[in-house]
Amino acid sequence: MTPQQPAPAGDGPEERNPGLAQERTSLSWTRTAISFAALGGVVLKENVVTGLIILAIAPVVWRLGQVSEGSGPQPGFSPVGAFRLFLITVAIVAVALLCLFIAIFGKSVPGALR
Amino acid sequence: MSWSSRLAMLLPGTVERDSGGTEPDPRFTFANERTFLAWSRTALALVVAGLGIVQLLPPFPGVPAGRHLLGVPLIVLGGVLAIVAYTEWGRNQRALRRGEPLPRSLMPWILAATITVMAIISAVVLLISALR
Repeated sequence: MTPQQPAPAGDGPEERNPGLAQERTSLSWTRTAISFAALGGVVLKENVVTGLIILAIAPVVWRLGQVSEGSGPQPGFSPVGAFRLFLITVAIVAVALLCLFIAIFGKSVPGALR
Repeated sequence: MSWSSRLAMLLPGTVERDSGGTEPDPRFTFANERTFLAWSRTALALVVAGLGIVQLLPPFPGVPAGRHLLGVPLIVLGGVLAIVAYTEWGRNQRALRRGEPLPRSLMPWILAATITVMAIISAVVLLISALR
């Protein structure tokens, strides 16, 4: 198969403005950061320290999402990009382990939703 | 493939080194990254749901371990899903670089199977506590 070139200029919005894909990706990073903040808010109710740690991840994730912004319209794939995604994976696994610990050993608030 | 080389494939930076090929259309790279991020959010949502079930729900009468039975698997699934999302991102990026068809994804199957099992467990727990 021939190397993939950017599609020839056409009439689609994507062809007229390739930056849209980058913008969607940037927004996706923002949503991911908001998800971390939401989880941090929930955990804050159970365990203040853990909640603050998770809340502190949110701005880092948001900042990671801005990395590709400065490198022009075609930053493409770089080891830096792979490393960002690796960091997110590590962060989620760590957060899941923390939450598992809280869920099993933490003092529950029975009937908080009653 | 040995386990050590499988683990080495998880490290960032290996995609470019071992797959060769050419840089794909950046739009494909962005789309692959968004797919990974969407699965990451799914994983985080599962962790929130699991923690919420354990910590916020009132205990099920008659099923003292009921909340943990429902919440702990969801949290574990969240962590597993994040790792699988990362490996599949790497597989997709390799395929894109080589111009090969994208490999089939395991994640919809994992998610659907787990949600089905969790729904069955929820129904059983609710029935037991309602009949009591």
